[in-house]
Order: sequence, then C-alpha cells, then structure tokens
Amino acid sequence: MPRQIEENIAIRRHRSVSYAKWGYLFIAPFFIVYILCTLIPQFLTVYNSFFESYMDGLKQVGPNYVGIKNYIALFTPDSNGVIGIIKYTQNTLIIWILGAVPQFVIAMLLALFFTSYRLNIKGQPFFKSVIYLPNLIMASAFAMLFFTLFSNVGPVNQLLLQTGIIDQTFDFFRSKVSVRLLIALMNFLMWFGNTTILFMAGIMGIDQELFESATIDGANSTQVFFRITLPLLMPIVVYAIITAMIGGLQMFDVPQVLTNRLGNPDRTALTLVMYLNSYLTPSKNYGMSGAVSMYLFIITAFLSMIVYRSMIRQGTSSRR
Amino acid sequence: MKKALSILLVLVLMVGLLAGCGDKTGTGTPVSPPSGSGTSTPAKTAEEGKVFNIYAWNEEFKGFFEKYYTVPEGITVNWIITPSDGGAYQEKLDAALLAQESASPDEKVDLFLAEADYILKYVESDLTMDVSTIGVTAAPTMYQYTVQAASDSQGRMKGVSFQCCPAAVIYRRSIAKDVLGTDDPAKVQEAISDWDKFDAVAAKAKEKGYYMTASYVETYRTFSNNCSMPWVDANNKLQFDPMILAYLKQAKEYLEKGYTLPAGIWDDEKNQQMFATGKTMCFFGPAWYYNFCMGNAMDPEKGCSGDWAIVQGPQAYFWGGTWLLAPAGTDNPTMLKDIMDTFTINEEVCSKLVENEMQFSNNTKVNQKFADDPNYGNEFLGGQNDTAVFVELAKNIKFEHKTQYDQLLNEQLPGVFLDYFLGNITEDQAYANYYQYVNEKYPAIITPDEA
Repeated sequence: MPRQIEENIAIRRHRSVSYAKWGYLFIAPFFIVYILCTLIPQFLTVYNSFFESYMDGLKQVGPNYVGIKNYIALFTPDSNGVIGIIKYTQNTLIIWILGAVPQFVIAMLLALFFTSYRLNIKGQPFFKSVIYLPNLIMASAFAMLFFTLFSNVGPVNQLLLQTGIIDQTFDFFRSKVSVRLLIALMNFLMWFGNTTILFMAGIMGIDQELFESATIDGANSTQVFFRITLPLLMPIVVYAIITAMIGGLQMFDVPQVLTNRLGNPDRTALTLVMYLNSYLTPSKNYGMSGAVSMYLFIITAFLSMIVYRSMIRQGTSSRR
Repeated sequence: MKKALSILLVLVLMVGLLAGCGDKTGTGTPVSPPSGSGTSTPAKTAEEGKVFNIYAWNEEFKGFFEKYYTVPEGITVNWIITPSDGGAYQEKLDAALLAQESASPDEKVDLFLAEADYILKYVESDLTMDVSTIGVTAAPTMYQYTVQAASDSQGRMKGVSFQCCPAAVIYRRSIAKDVLGTDDPAKVQEAISDWDKFDAVAAKAKEKGYYMTASYVETYRTFSNNCSMPWVDANNKLQFDPMILAYLKQAKEYLEKGYTLPAGIWDDEKNQQMFATGKTMCFFGPAWYYNFCMGNAMDPEKGCSGDWAIVQGPQAYFWGGTWLLAPAGTDNPTMLKDIMDTFTINEEVCSKLVENEMQFSNNTKVNQKFADDPNYGNEFLGGQNDTAVFVELAKNIKFEHKTQYDQLLNEQLPGVFLDYFLGNITEDQAYANYYQYVNEKYPAIITPDEA
C-alpha cells in the first residue's frame, strides 16, 4: 500500500513538471520574436541617440560618437526663443485632449444608454457596428477626405457661403484652432466606437444586484452613475485613458496627411512623431530621431504613471 | 495520441516562426538567350540582361516610350514609378542604386529619370556612368544647358535629356484684352517684360476684378532659376540669394493686395481657375504644363481651349527637362544607348514628340523646323506657334548654381513662409521655422541660427 502511494505521488510530480516545460515552450516563440523585433531595436534606438549619423545626399556621415549633443540640440531654443520639442509636445497634448475629452464623455453616455434596461434600445448590433466603422477606415484616407472637404473650394466652404453663415471662404488650414479641431474631430470619430464598446463590456460586468438594491433604496440615475457605476468601472476607464494617451502621444498619420507633412500653420499642428519622422526622410538621421524617441518614451512613461496613480487612488478612496 | 498532437502543434508553431526567413535571390536565372535583336549586334545581346528596369516619378516618359520605341525581342521592360513628393522618389532610387552592385542582373537599375532639382546629386556620384563609354555623346543639336546639367565637374556626361523645358507665361486672351486692351503676344510681352511692369499690370487686373496668378507659388521658380549664387556656399552654410528675397517680397505683397490666391501649385483651388469661369490672367509653365496639367482649360464643356497664348514674361526660366541617366553597372548598355539616341538624335521620333505630344524636344534642328513652319500652330493657344516662342526662350536658359539640396529646399519654402505672407506670424518666426525645416531635411547644411 505505501509503495502504491509513493508511486502515485511520483507520477503526479512527474506529470506537473512536464506540463510546465510545455508551457514555456509554447510562449517561447512570442518572447523570441519580441526580443528580436522589439527589445533589441529599442536598445539600438537608445544607443543610436548618442551618435551623429545621417546621410548627406548619397554619402553616409557617421556614426560618430557625440555624447548628449543630440539631446542638447533638441532643447536648444531657435532664434526666437522657441524650444521646438516643447512646442510640439504641447501641440500633441492639446490635440489629444481636444479629441479625448469628447471621446470619453460621449463613449460613456452611449455605453450607459446601450446598457440601460429602462431605455431598452433596439437594434443594438446595428448601432454598435456603425459607431465602430470609422475605426476601420485608414487614417490617411480619412485625412485626405477631410482635406478635400474643408479646402477653400470644398463642399463645407461652399455650404457655409451659400447659407450665408460666412461672407468669404474661411481657410480652415490657416487657423491654428480650426486645424487642431479638425484633427481632434477625426481622432474622436475614429476612436469613440472602440471606447464605447469597451465601457459597455465593463458596465455589463457589474453585478445587476447592486443597481437593483440602489434603485430600491431610492437612488436616482445620477447617483447610481457616480456612486456605483463609475467607481466599479475605474480599472477599465484607467486602462482606456492610458492606452488612448499612448496612442495620442504617437499621433502621426492624421496630421501628417492633413497638413501635407508641414504641420502648419506655423508648426502648431506638428506632433512629436511627425517631428521624429521628419528627421528620417531623406537624411536618415538616426541620431536625432533616436533622441526624440527617448524623449517620447520618457514623457509617455511619466504621464502614464501620473494618470495611473491619480485615478487608482481616486477609485479606491471613493469605494470607502 | 495527445502527446503526438501537442508535439505536432509545437512544431507547426515553430515553422510559422521561421516562415519569414528565406532566400533573397531574384526570381529567374540570369541567363539571357543568345537571340539577335533588330537594332543591336547579335554578339553584344548575348551578354545583356533580359529585364530592363526603368525608375521614374511619373508616367510621362512611359507614354512616349511605349509609343515611339520598339523594345528588342526577348527583353521585358519593368517600370518602377514613385511620385517625387517629399523626396520619396529619390529615396527609392537611392536605395536601388546603392544596392546595384549586389543586385541580381534582373533587379539592376538600367535607366533612371531625374529632374533638374536633384540631378546634381546623381551626376556627381560614382553611381552613374560616363555615357561616352556606351557610345553616347553630346550631339550638336542638344541644348547646351541639358548637356551641362548632365555632366559632372570633370565634364563627363552621365545622361541626356529628351525634353527641353523653357517656360513661358500662359495668359488668357480674353482677360488680357479686358485688362490691357490687346491679346497680341508681342504687345502683351511688352506690358510684362520685367517685374515692375508685371506688378503694375497686376494692379490693373485687380481693379477689373481679376487675379494676376492663381497661386502664391506660381512665380517662385522664375526667381529661383535666376539666382546668382547657390543655396549653400563652399562651407555648406545656407544663403538666401537676392532673387529669393525678391520672391518673398512679391508673394507677401500679392497676397496682401489680393493679386493671387493662397493656393499651392497643384491645388484644386488653382486648377479651378482654369475653367472658363476662372478669373486668373497668367499661369506660368512650359509646354508640358499646358499639355498635361491644364485639363480643366481643355474641358470641352467648361473649358476655354483656344483662349490662351504664351509669351516669355518678366524673366526667362525653365521648369524641367527630364534627364535619362545611366546607372553604373547596368547590364543592358546597348539598349540604353539605343533609347538615349532615339529620343534625342532620331529626328523622326523627335518630330513626333513635337507634333503629336506638344513637347519641346531636345533637338534644335527639329524644333527650328517647326518654328519656321507657318502652318504649325497650337489649337489650345488659339493657333499660336508655341515652338517658335520656345526656340527663342531656350536661348536664355541658364543652369547654374545648383546644389544637391535644391529639391526640398525649393519645394517647401513657399509653404513654410505662407503664414508670414498672410500676416499670421512675423518674418523672424518664418525664418526660424524654415531653418528648423532645413535642419531636419539636410543636417549637413549649417543654418544661420546654428552658426
């Protein structure tokens, strides 16, 4: 009998160890590809940022070690005292916030409407597909469309002129405010569907009993939302905000196509990744673009940490 | 059984990981058939490649090539077309040329086209070859500036141009009649023979409700072609020629006074001015411009074909010239020589280019023949013999003070300064933005704020 027990234990131990081996084997491909294609290039980017390396016509200059010269060049003010990279960070953040605030507010509203039992909206699959569709459009095609729509001889200007709202053509691309709003509008249209569905999934995961007991206790909709739904949704909202912010900081294709690579007027629509990209063509300046990448990485990490800390603390305190 | 299945799954996953790796050898073996072709000696074609790769930035030359050139038997022509916006074509070309030595014969660049704005970069490098080695020489019928542009500092010619592109002022006859009282080219030329007179006519046109030009970039090239110094000096420091500064002044004045529109050179807003309802008097461009780019004016319903004419305008300049350059290491030298000769020396083909394609060929003899022909006229220009005008203009074309940085420095200068022209930013800010742009595109150039 004891021998049988010993054998059973030995067999069980043997089985559990072999399963772990299989587990490592299955996830190995992902890690190999990640290390080769993502981690090593990231280290190379940091490494390159300490070198001066670019193409002058058909000749390659460098790589020559220059220490932190690239970083100093990034933060040197131009002849008017404007530090380029700070300005572009401001541009990126402003455009992102202009698009993200409506995106979250409207996504939350729509999610509440779709999951509300009282409203009982019919045809939900249809609506969900329709609001998600803009996300599937290629951003550059979308930007090209807006470029044509809002040009001086485009339909929007003609409509405004005909209805008498304005007297002469309004140049949408020469005003800092309108260009930023257009980009923000495009970002909003493309992403609010995604956020809505995310919030819907989150709300449907909240236990219905909580809502019922709150209603029985006499809470109105606003109280239910702020006291029950929002705090319980907090992890998802934090996730959505952080991923939106990471995506927003890397905003590139929409402003690039809309402003024809220049970020005009007066470089107020130039985002950080557009700035990075301008160093790559035609001069393949890996030194400067590496420095911009490092800056972007640090900013993203810093802002994500701030968002995470402040919202998680908020979430946990309101639950008490 | 389960164990076998799981092993199989793992193997499939592993194979998927390795699927991306593979050989990068070109398709097809580089053995060419020893067949004789019509135009070249049989012995030579036995060594030549089967695939002829041509790099270009648009389909203009492709159209002429397919109509007027017979490709030798057994050779396939491969067109690699990349638009030149933002330097994309140059990037693609550079990558291909730098890989020329290690490329398989079927992938080698055999011919590439280049514009005046960046031809220097290729001509001065070792990636292009002296065409005298394949038997192409500067014929006396070629325009001097095309030979000069294609030759490096030691005088070795690296290619030829099939077009000569003197540019003119293309004006609307009906509007000129209204503003100047006449649409006769000689009298119109007198009225706009220099920039001061041009400005005066612009004021008159404005009074009658017309625009002088349809884009604030329209006259840029006229100024930039007539610079007396290059964009960078011997130490690679950026310098602004007085002509460029004159352009900045004119563009600001014209936009402020409403003589022109804040549209880019290829924008819809400008193209819409070409319809019969357009209110613009002058467009600037060479023969290919009204051939390919004024489609709106040629529209049978809404256009105004026949209501145009050309004159030299305030200054002679050129816009283009498409050069056919010879890459070093091509495996089809005989066909390359044949193509180059066909489009420059072959009088029949050059005549067809002028007659059927409204081009101004790179053959003085052919052009003069059409210039002297009293019955040759262009319907779009109300019957005017445009070749005669261009023959005169071509005499004044200068190709001097070019650098390898010209394309991008010229391409976006008006765009970067537009906010200053419209009064939204100060001149200093505009210059600062431009220096920033130059530093991004060409780090080798030293801008004044870096000095």
